[in-house]
Amino acid sequence: MIQVSLRRIGVVALRVVRQLKRDRRTIGLIAFAPIVLMILFGYALSGEMSGVALGLVDCGGHPALRSHLEAIEDFDVLRLGSESDAELLVSEGRLNGAVVLQPDEVRVLLDASSLQISQAILTAAQSGAQKEAANLQKPQENFVITRYLFGYDLEMMDTVGPAIMGLVVFFFTFINAAISFIRERSQGTLEKFMVSPLSRVEMVLGYVLGFSLFTLLQSTTTLLVVTLGFKVPMRGNPLTALTVVLLLGAGALVLGSFLSNFARSEFQVVQFIPLVITPQIVLCGVWWPLQSIPEFIRPISYMLPLTYAGDALRAVMLKGSSLTEIIFPDLLALTVFFLVFFAAATLMLKRQVD
Amino acid sequence: MASDESGPVVSARGVVKSFGQLRVLDSLTLDIPRGVTYCLLGPNGSGKTTLIRAIVGLLKIDGGDLNVLGMPVSRVQQIYSKIGYMTQHKALYPDLTLQENLEFFAGLYGIGKQEREQRIVELLRMVNLQDLRNRLAGTLSGGMYQRLSLACTLIHEPELLLLDEPTVGVDPRLRQTFWKYFERLTSDGRTVLITTHLMDEAEKCRIVGYMKAGKMTAVGSPDDIKRQAGLKPHLELWLKDPEKDCARLRAEGYEIEILDGVVSLRLESHEQIKSVLEIVSPIDMRLKEPMLEEAFLQLSEAA
Ligand SMILES: Nc1ncnc2c1ncn2[C@@H]1O[C@H](COP(=O)(O)OP(=O)(O)OP(=O)(O)O)[C@@H](O)[C@H]1O
Ligand SMILES: [Mg+2]
Repeated sequence: MIQVSLRRIGVVALRVVRQLKRDRRTIGLIAFAPIVLMILFGYALSGEMSGVALGLVDCGGHPALRSHLEAIEDFDVLRLGSESDAELLVSEGRLNGAVVLQPDEVRVLLDASSLQISQAILTAAQSGAQKEAANLQKPQENFVITRYLFGYDLEMMDTVGPAIMGLVVFFFTFINAAISFIRERSQGTLEKFMVSPLSRVEMVLGYVLGFSLFTLLQSTTTLLVVTLGFKVPMRGNPLTALTVVLLLGAGALVLGSFLSNFARSEFQVVQFIPLVITPQIVLCGVWWPLQSIPEFIRPISYMLPLTYAGDALRAVMLKGSSLTEIIFPDLLALTVFFLVFFAAATLMLKRQVD
Repeated sequence: MASDESGPVVSARGVVKSFGQLRVLDSLTLDIPRGVTYCLLGPNGSGKTTLIRAIVGLLKIDGGDLNVLGMPVSRVQQIYSKIGYMTQHKALYPDLTLQENLEFFAGLYGIGKQEREQRIVELLRMVNLQDLRNRLAGTLSGGMYQRLSLACTLIHEPELLLLDEPTVGVDPRLRQTFWKYFERLTSDGRTVLITTHLMDEAEKCRIVGYMKAGKMTAVGSPDDIKRQAGLKPHLELWLKDPEKDCARLRAEGYEIEILDGVVSLRLESHEQIKSVLEIVSPIDMRLKEPMLEEAFLQLSEAA
């Protein structure tokens, strides 16, 4: 018998907004943080990725061709599990091309949007194939098949930009929410709440609403910094991107609320950062494509909300995907994440009073 | 407001609550009638706060019967709008202004805007903070904070008020204002349960319950309590001829002590003063009523 009153949710939301509004430091960081992160991740990481990113799908045979490709200095060779992974990454512009080795043939996937690089890859593949043929002492025949895909020429900034949006929102909402809930407890206000008509569901929803307004402000600022300041394209509808970010923010909030039960002080909340934030940065598939993450770790990637938010934001900003195109799996996964931790957060609120 | 029956507002029968090995409420029984100020006294750690938290349903009791406003405590959530609970420790938002704090708590109870404004003005006047309504609560002094906390508790005009040491750090003049306000509330049929360590406050309550180690060891009006503790008023006499007068009083069966030339005589009742004056005619005299404090010191040693 849960009664939910929109009015009481609004009362909590208003209070949260009033408190956030007074938090000068957080407000100041709204614009500052994305700039710093863009510079940090965009420029600093782009140095490493200067070579040609080449995917390699090895289904057997052609050892000479493989070692030839791997020996080329300018190539960053990424081992991939299947041809469809390779296709996806090339068409997303995250790989410049891919070579698929099969016992009877070699297929080269190339990105039509950067012909120069495509040419270099093709040349390398063909000279590798010649070596292979010489080794086998077979009559040379042309077993290299070329396929062009339409990817787009991306810069590091472009792949990083959408993820920074997600990261900034997730990080700040998570930390702020966890600290707010810790304070509700240490201030004794939680105990007072519990003895009022406000239900736990209303309280958490009030927080979600209040923080959402904050998220909106924060993500709009980040969007402006990323698109205007760092020239990351915005091919889709900005409102779709904001929807994704709001859903991500709501997830971060309930996660923060839930985890606040395991911290005794604000100081301890900070200790969650390596546990909660760092894996998401590493495993969300922005800096390294998901397909290149070792298979036994990959399930973790698929449990992290930033993975889906990053994917959805990339799709909206770079490919111009619409809302319906990102429902599955991204919006769905973010919704499930939110619901799970919403339930956990409200349940824990009760338990910790007893 | 007045909801139904005339039965007790809070009634506890054999209530038990333990924290691990520690039995904090030990088959506690008490009744709080409607429309009174009920003072809960007892040494630190005797379980007063625990009892209040059990009454508002924050703690699940391990055994016994506990009814609040005619409702079993397991369903007390349904009547939270009729209960005002002021916690022993601060429970306000330091980063909100006084006005915003009050607005927030009013909002939780769904009080309309107009009524809310009116109540805020009235309560801020009562706690004498009307000039500070736009200050951040975190910048208030300790006593002011306590006063704001009381105002926030009263904002929805609860039928049952549970105040856990509401006057700690509040200056004497304001404490007097508080007590006048409490009297007004009880004359409206509301009930106030209050804990305090200040005996002069306990004296002002209709009923005083003394709690020790999770049990009610004495309950009654302040006068009742003194009687239970066996405390009697004393008459102090300044006599012309102490030796002779004392002998005469002793002969009549009065208990007498002489301290620094002042004769102190234990009375069974106030009526005895007349008969004492028939025996002796003192230069001066003073009636010393027993202090509630002494009663409790005795009771806590006895129990
Ligand atoms: N949540 C809890 N967990 C464990 N022990 C508790 C808990 N709450 C209270 N206690 C213990 O129960 C006992 C009674 O505490 P309580 O706060 O009810 O005392 P009190 O009468 O209000 O004291 P005071 O006058 O100091 O406010 C104390 O020994 C306290 O340590
Ligand atoms: Mg206490």
